[in-house]
Amino acid sequence: MEFGRRWALVVLGLSCSVSCHDTTAPPAPIVYEPSWTYKCVPDEGCHRSAHPQPGANSSSLIFPSLDLCRTVCGRFGGLWPRPVTAALSTQTVRIHPNFLRFDLSNAPVETRDILVEMTHVATQNLIDECDGNVSVVVETPVVVYITVKTTNLNLTLDTLEQYRLDVQSKESNAVIHIVAETVYGARHALETFTQLVSSDKLDDGEYRCGLRLVAGAKIWDQPVYKYRGFLLDTSRNFIPMDDIKRMLDAMATVKMNVFHWHATDSHSFPLESKRVPQFTRYGAYSAYEIYSAEEIRELIHYARVRGIRVVIEIDSPAHAGNGWQWGQEFGYGDLAVCVNARQWRGLCIQPPCGQLNPANPTMYRVLRDLYKDIAEYLPKPALFHMGGDEVFLGCWNSSEQILTYMESRNYDTSVDGFIKLWSEFHEKALNMWDEELTALGQEEKQPVMLWSSELTQAHRIQKHLSKDRYIIEVWEPINSPLLVQLIRLGYKVVSVPKDIWYLDHGFWGQTKYSNWRRMYAHTLPRDPHMLGGEVAAWSEYVDSQGLDTRVWPRTAAVAERLWADPNSGAIAAESRLQRLRARLGSRGIRADVLSPQWCAQHDQHCV
Amino acid sequence: MKSWGEALGRSAGAQFSRVGRLRRALLLLAAAACTAAALLYWRQQADSAHRPLHSLYANVAPQWSWICRNDRCERFLATETPVLQSLPTCNMLCASTQLWPQPTGPVSLATAAAHVSAHGFSLQVVASPSREIKDHLADAFNLMVEDLKALERNAGLDGRRSSSGTPRDVVVRVNVNGTADPRMRQDTDETYKLTLRPVAHTLVVDLAARSFVGARHGFETLSQLVWLDPYAASLLILEAATVEDGPRFRYRGLLLDTARNFFPVSDILRTIDAMGACKLNTFHWHVSDSQSFPLRLNSAPQLAQHGAYGPGAVYTTDDVRTVVRRARLRGIRVLIEVDAPAHVGRAWTWGPVAGLGHLAHCVEVEPWSTYCGEPPCGQLNPRNPNVYAILERVYAEIIQLTGVDDIFHLGGDEVSERCWAQHFNDTDPMELWFDFTKRAMRALERANGGKLPELTLLWSSRLTHTPYLERLDKKHFGVQIWGSSRWPESRAVLDAGYRSILSHVDAWYLDCGFGSWRDSSDGHCGPYRSWQQIYEHRPWIEEMPGLTAGVEPWRIDGGAACQWTEQLGSGGLDARVWPRTAALAERLWSDRSEGATADVYLRLDTQRTRLLAKGIHAAPLWPRWCSHNPHACL
Repeated sequence: MEFGRRWALVVLGLSCSVSCHDTTAPPAPIVYEPSWTYKCVPDEGCHRSAHPQPGANSSSLIFPSLDLCRTVCGRFGGLWPRPVTAALSTQTVRIHPNFLRFDLSNAPVETRDILVEMTHVATQNLIDECDGNVSVVVETPVVVYITVKTTNLNLTLDTLEQYRLDVQSKESNAVIHIVAETVYGARHALETFTQLVSSDKLDDGEYRCGLRLVAGAKIWDQPVYKYRGFLLDTSRNFIPMDDIKRMLDAMATVKMNVFHWHATDSHSFPLESKRVPQFTRYGAYSAYEIYSAEEIRELIHYARVRGIRVVIEIDSPAHAGNGWQWGQEFGYGDLAVCVNARQWRGLCIQPPCGQLNPANPTMYRVLRDLYKDIAEYLPKPALFHMGGDEVFLGCWNSSEQILTYMESRNYDTSVDGFIKLWSEFHEKALNMWDEELTALGQEEKQPVMLWSSELTQAHRIQKHLSKDRYIIEVWEPINSPLLVQLIRLGYKVVSVPKDIWYLDHGFWGQTKYSNWRRMYAHTLPRDPHMLGGEVAAWSEYVDSQGLDTRVWPRTAAVAERLWADPNSGAIAAESRLQRLRARLGSRGIRADVLSPQWCAQHDQHCV
Repeated sequence: MKSWGEALGRSAGAQFSRVGRLRRALLLLAAAACTAAALLYWRQQADSAHRPLHSLYANVAPQWSWICRNDRCERFLATETPVLQSLPTCNMLCASTQLWPQPTGPVSLATAAAHVSAHGFSLQVVASPSREIKDHLADAFNLMVEDLKALERNAGLDGRRSSSGTPRDVVVRVNVNGTADPRMRQDTDETYKLTLRPVAHTLVVDLAARSFVGARHGFETLSQLVWLDPYAASLLILEAATVEDGPRFRYRGLLLDTARNFFPVSDILRTIDAMGACKLNTFHWHVSDSQSFPLRLNSAPQLAQHGAYGPGAVYTTDDVRTVVRRARLRGIRVLIEVDAPAHVGRAWTWGPVAGLGHLAHCVEVEPWSTYCGEPPCGQLNPRNPNVYAILERVYAEIIQLTGVDDIFHLGGDEVSERCWAQHFNDTDPMELWFDFTKRAMRALERANGGKLPELTLLWSSRLTHTPYLERLDKKHFGVQIWGSSRWPESRAVLDAGYRSILSHVDAWYLDCGFGSWRDSSDGHCGPYRSWQQIYEHRPWIEEMPGLTAGVEPWRIDGGAACQWTEQLGSGGLDARVWPRTAALAERLWSDRSEGATADVYLRLDTQRTRLLAKGIHAAPLWPRWCSHNPHACL
């Protein structure tokens, strides 16, 4: 091997310089073999092997790169999330993307356009394994036969995501069979296929990179939970579109399927509304920090190709301020109250304050215009998030106009009275949303998401929110009974326990950081109403600069929890997660490390 | 979806009017109207008042304008104000100095700005004690100009003519009257005095210092008087300024551990740049540990050969020289620590094959928890003379590479008595440790041409406790105290009169708060040390013993933030370290008696923007809205 020879030379030279200086040095130069090969140890994982015997029979369980070792070592190789069942060969075959072909003849014509895009993503991911240049060329033909059974391109909570993946290879060719109900199942299969491929590149400064595919595999897979979400807040700090796309790339890698876009808040309103340009005019941080209508549409398509549904959240009636403060100027009165109030304590959870003004009919007209835009943006059937959290009654209570309005509605100024006002807001908002969807030809009424709040308390929710219309996103801590209570009451729920799955915790106040193990360890109830879970990246203390490491690989831990919900714990998962981290890196996502690299090179030795 | 809690609230009571006290002379002359009048680049919104909304939206970027009122920058819609002023410009011309770290001497700053461009800066060395200093000044000046050019590029100014008229030239006249040695030394006087004034159409800067490092700090301050105005699309500079400045502590460091995870040289250079921007002066390079040994030394290439994570995860001697060179120009010493006798690993396993006997014991033994604090284990063999011979060569090469020969770090923490007790049951392991330290010192002395460095640092450990502490010679040894500031033994070292570098785990450990990397427990330290907490840590004030007879005053040389990297890789480095280490830098440079007041938030936010412009991915302090409305979030 040329590699070994070069090192021997270097060391010969250097050890001479040692012996020149020091009389206690060894009499003879020492030849060192490179100590950076990796061995697959059954039941443990991959270990950097200390002293590979020179000239020893190169066993199939010794690998030149850690990534390659992980790809075949262990029952689930380097797959993340873990599939339901997998049988993998420990042999690999060399492949090259130039000789990779996708056969779509068993996919309905209607599905082919998007399938072609999906295969392009998969191919690019393979090339990225070699940082964009697969320099070792082999001409083995590789054909991926994709069978899709339905023509339905909708991405909903009922989309069937299961797939079957078969890899067979001989000396002369490799054949992959993918069978899925939907294009999204096929996409997941393509993702798994790319995870059966690894580069064999060495970190030695010489660029030489080839791809190897696991020579044989049989995989059957489907998710445990339907809703596997990631929330990104783009209001506290603006997150450029390229960063959002990178988050979607990473989500697709771990088969998450909902991008919950917390697009607006009281801090800023970066989302363009064609009908109400004032939102960004008065709400964006700058002209460069706006998501244009075109970018939004492009993002939604980008997500769909990656099997991800975009759920836009327009938080209301609270968490709305900047972007809504132009009413007076235009003669419409206050569209929102308490906006940017100087003495913010008591009026909102954090500065700047702002809450929509339910006493102002124009506010509803403006909101409807915004809904029209959102309804046009969102893929159909649309899933929309109306926010609904942290309403401060004190804010509404500080507005004469609102108090007068409440009087006219016979709401008293007790908590109950304000709750009625709040509930009325959601009722009107939902009606408007329904009407706008109907106007776009959406026949059936679509569910809408809301955060848990005072309004969703078990003793109160049934009076105000219909279980047929709302999905409640419960962000209470894990010791709260609310999640289970709501399930019992028949509400569909998504769980985001803030003390475990909030990524901003640990950087402010008394909150505590959750590492990936803690996030992975948390399990959700199994119930038809338990739709799934979400990881939340609030952006008070993160922006474009540190986003990747804040979010990844921790979010991937939850992705596996939601996809596979394995009985085994973090220890069994770690080597695969290490492989995933490397994979994210080659795809351009700068995920944080899990441990010292020594531990990554010695599976199970750091427990 | 969250409670704001005390995250921002901790300084809620701080009065912004305090800022006024810091600024002298010209500073407060300007009321808001005055400020507006001084601006050179305002532009009127043609028909701002009553245009229909869609045309506003279609043609004019949504823009905010900031007006200085009552010493505060307030945000308005551009259409609501007669003058369009950007946030950086408002901040620079309003009440705060916007300098970081805050100078310790008198400061007076103009409230008028002048238009400049990076290529209009020129250097005149009026006096310098040596050719070497002169060359260093030229190189450091070029680095500053490069930074300014980068700032211009950020605004896309390259090759575009700005509308603000001819930029004014800036002539920087430097006078270094003092040491001919450009290195950051123990006795380097880092003070400088800078004046900036308009002379005809030119701006003249006079910079006087007693060392190259002092002059370089002056460049840094000068560059902080320059900013990019995004609306005028040009660089601006304050028209006049006087700054007298010097640090409160002489050792201001950042430790980066490149052994738990490897960081490419580019990361280190970026870190050095950020340190320079904050006037830190010591890059403590914890280069090796039991996990890896990435430093490929010519004198002992086997260490990296066996110890590096991979053939690409090594620092060559050229890499080290590159780092040292950059650091030198940034006024920073590179203090390389090869930790010993504990915290060693596979790098030291080649002894038997080489006929040198066992250089280390317990390497990668199991169960690790019996023999070390974290896996993998390893400890040098204190009875093998070859160990000291190798250490001597390693030390000599480090000194030669870094040019730092007046201060050295031996490591010396967390020795496992159990590991050695297994192999040497005839001797008290503490005596072995003490003996090891003595012999390592002799190796260091030989490596340094027969002369001990003025200060040799050891980590605080059991060896720096009574009764062993007293046996360490105060003339040579200093202690880097990593224990909690509340531990009695941390204080005991100070009380005993040892020179100390503070790195209290309860304030200045940047790795805390991320839980354990081995299980889901809380890990060895937590919670996360916020920048406010780092900033407000002043143990020398809280606990300094009174000037009682018989009690020696504490000898605190300074401090260092420690970035251990069990849970940090290249991708997250900047946001983990910055701007928190900037907070430490001001604590050690200025040591202002105030905590994290409103003015500190403002200036640190500005400093963060500067770091971003230099390509350092510093984390945000808060939501952008708070930068836009700084006083509303406090």
